[in-house]
Amino acid sequence: MLTYIVRRILLMIPTLIGITMVVFFTMAMSPGGVGAALAGAEGNMRPQEREAVRKYLNQRYGLDQPAILQYFRWLNQISPVGFHVNEDGSYGRFTLKWPSLGESLMRRRPVTSVVAEALPITLLLNVITIPIIYAISITAGIRAAQHRGKRFDIGVGTTMVALWSLPVMWVGVMAIGFVANREYLYLFPTGGLHDTLATRMSYLPGYVNGEFRIGYLLDLAWHLVLPVICLTYGGFAVMTKLMRASVLENITADFARTARAKGLPERVVIYRHVLRNSILPLITVAASILPGLLGGSVIVESIFSIDGMGRLMIDAINTRDRDLILSITLVSGLLSLSCLIVADICYAIADPRVSYE
Amino acid sequence: MSELAATVTSPDGAAEAPRAWSRRVLSATFTGLGAKLGLAWIMVVAFCGVAAPLLANTYPLAMKSGGVVSFPAIRYLNWADVTLLAGTVVSLILFFAARGLAVPTRLAFIVGIYGVLAVVTFLTVRAPQLQGFEQYRGMEASGEIDWSVYAPIRFSATDRLRDQPFDAEARTHPWPPSNTHLMGTEVNGSDILSRMIHACRIAMSLGFISTGLSLFIGVLAGAVMGYYVKWIDLIGMRIMEVFDAIPTLFLMLAAVAFFGRNLYIIMLIIGFTGWVGIARFVRAEFLKLRNVDYVLAAQALGLPLRSILFRHLLPNALAPVLVQVSFGVASAILAESSLSFLGLGLIDEPSWGAMLNQAVGATGGFQWWLAIFPGAAIFLTVLSYNLIGEALRDSLDPKLLKRE
Repeated sequence: MLTYIVRRILLMIPTLIGITMVVFFTMAMSPGGVGAALAGAEGNMRPQEREAVRKYLNQRYGLDQPAILQYFRWLNQISPVGFHVNEDGSYGRFTLKWPSLGESLMRRRPVTSVVAEALPITLLLNVITIPIIYAISITAGIRAAQHRGKRFDIGVGTTMVALWSLPVMWVGVMAIGFVANREYLYLFPTGGLHDTLATRMSYLPGYVNGEFRIGYLLDLAWHLVLPVICLTYGGFAVMTKLMRASVLENITADFARTARAKGLPERVVIYRHVLRNSILPLITVAASILPGLLGGSVIVESIFSIDGMGRLMIDAINTRDRDLILSITLVSGLLSLSCLIVADICYAIADPRVSYE
Repeated sequence: MSELAATVTSPDGAAEAPRAWSRRVLSATFTGLGAKLGLAWIMVVAFCGVAAPLLANTYPLAMKSGGVVSFPAIRYLNWADVTLLAGTVVSLILFFAARGLAVPTRLAFIVGIYGVLAVVTFLTVRAPQLQGFEQYRGMEASGEIDWSVYAPIRFSATDRLRDQPFDAEARTHPWPPSNTHLMGTEVNGSDILSRMIHACRIAMSLGFISTGLSLFIGVLAGAVMGYYVKWIDLIGMRIMEVFDAIPTLFLMLAAVAFFGRNLYIIMLIIGFTGWVGIARFVRAEFLKLRNVDYVLAAQALGLPLRSILFRHLLPNALAPVLVQVSFGVASAILAESSLSFLGLGLIDEPSWGAMLNQAVGATGGFQWWLAIFPGAAIFLTVLSYNLIGEALRDSLDPKLLKRE
């Protein structure tokens, strides 16, 4: 098992290189490349200033070199083993070194700190979303399979196709427009993760002088309701269908019949025998919905003005911030690939027949 | 000709079997209500896309002024309008008139007709650079026009109504729906219904062309991987893993931002990111089929690789790919509206996603007509393709087919 995990982790490296390469060359092949955007960003300058900026950018990013060399430069920068870079930009010995994600050119800050601010927010959204997706899809999938062909099953099936086709941006806009708008329902806040006065709130809700105070945690939950709904519904539409198919396969299996024959109540048959066998395909799917969730959070975050990875990415792209774009791609790629490995390990744990030796 | 060759190589009538089977699958697909409704909606969208200049136009379709009958709308048609209108009429006539020809031959002819028309009109048709929307409104108001025939919706998609009406209060768009603007106006003052109709064209063409591109790449890659296996397959699988792990929207955003906001760039990018699903299915089918007797026979006969891959293997592996294509069109349309919604779509062209983006104003105001109509159009179109995809998948399921 350990050798398998190590091998999988090592196999991640070429994939990650591939991912960043695709994004890098998409940028590099564009007219003018990254350099045009960077050099143009400073506005009006005197010729010698412009020359100095150009020289600095060339030394810093190697923009006067072919794209492939620029890519290797970046790879060397993020790799823990590579050529040591001297103060003047020349390359020294091949050693172990501290990897660096570079500096965000537009924000004048290390990329690591920018990403460290945004990543927890997106992770928080997804950590809340995934269990909800599972809870709904498992219960709905089981019930639909139990009532196969009946009204409930058909209703669930139709609803799921409809939910799956609902564009996130429409749901988000309608939610903001009708549910969070002062003119209509005004049940939830329109954007952000915290109230403007959140820093002055106590952590937990409570009564102060007989008056209810919402508190930091409940305020956060209140802000999260609409974004989480937008992220959730597409996921459970797919998963419910999968769960239903998987339960249907097992509900008529021999072991289920045996369990019924020995007099177990239907509830125990379903939840102890059938469910455990049906849940396996859902484990592998968890890994494949994560990139989708990350992509979906781009739209959700921009609708609800949440400063997570998705919004950071749009911002980075709009400002042509090369290192930031590459780092976000790297981090999200790393996340999805790690989830694939975790899913495979979970699969082996859940099903003793699966072995990776 | 191809039919003749097929019957010669297999005189026992085996060549007829796949065609009959595909016809049976198609009829099974469209028996359900969902797929029928989906197809109907797609027909509506396609009709709106093709006939947009005839359905929503500020210029009179025909008019008589000063004793002269003229057709101003025709003068302002651009090459894409002419290609679509003429191409569709000719194709429809051909499709129903030439029943003697096989369906694939007819389809190939239709694609050829559109291609030739596009080239010819691109070179010959020149629409006027300047739009003169106010000219005819002015003529109408001053009574210079004896009679005129207008399109059902009297506003072009880019008719911003800049000079109407003259008091500043009423000029602050968007306006809510009214009798003149059935679905209201958008931020720049164009008629929403007109823009909705013109946006059908982008949605349809983008869906088909980008999925066509993914189909081409996916079939080619999947066929080579599934047939050769070994290291080509290994490399291909790694590449597919790469494309799986990139959030597609990130890649599209980056490409559109760096290459410019152009319809063809968007088509290319969506096509290039969508091939993985198709390649996976083709590969799986080819892996299954590569050691089947008729493939071995084709190899033993010394047929060229092209023939083995695309004449013998592909027709038998195509069924699950069609399901993917249906879902692919849906996700391509969704991708374009996401780009437009994020403000990286086409400039000045009507798009459902871009209209949806204007629903929530910068000051927090909410224009419900800008949210409901374009959003519903995206939803219904995506839903239609998904319903057809689902129905197609069900009808391809051997467990379900056998029962009939």
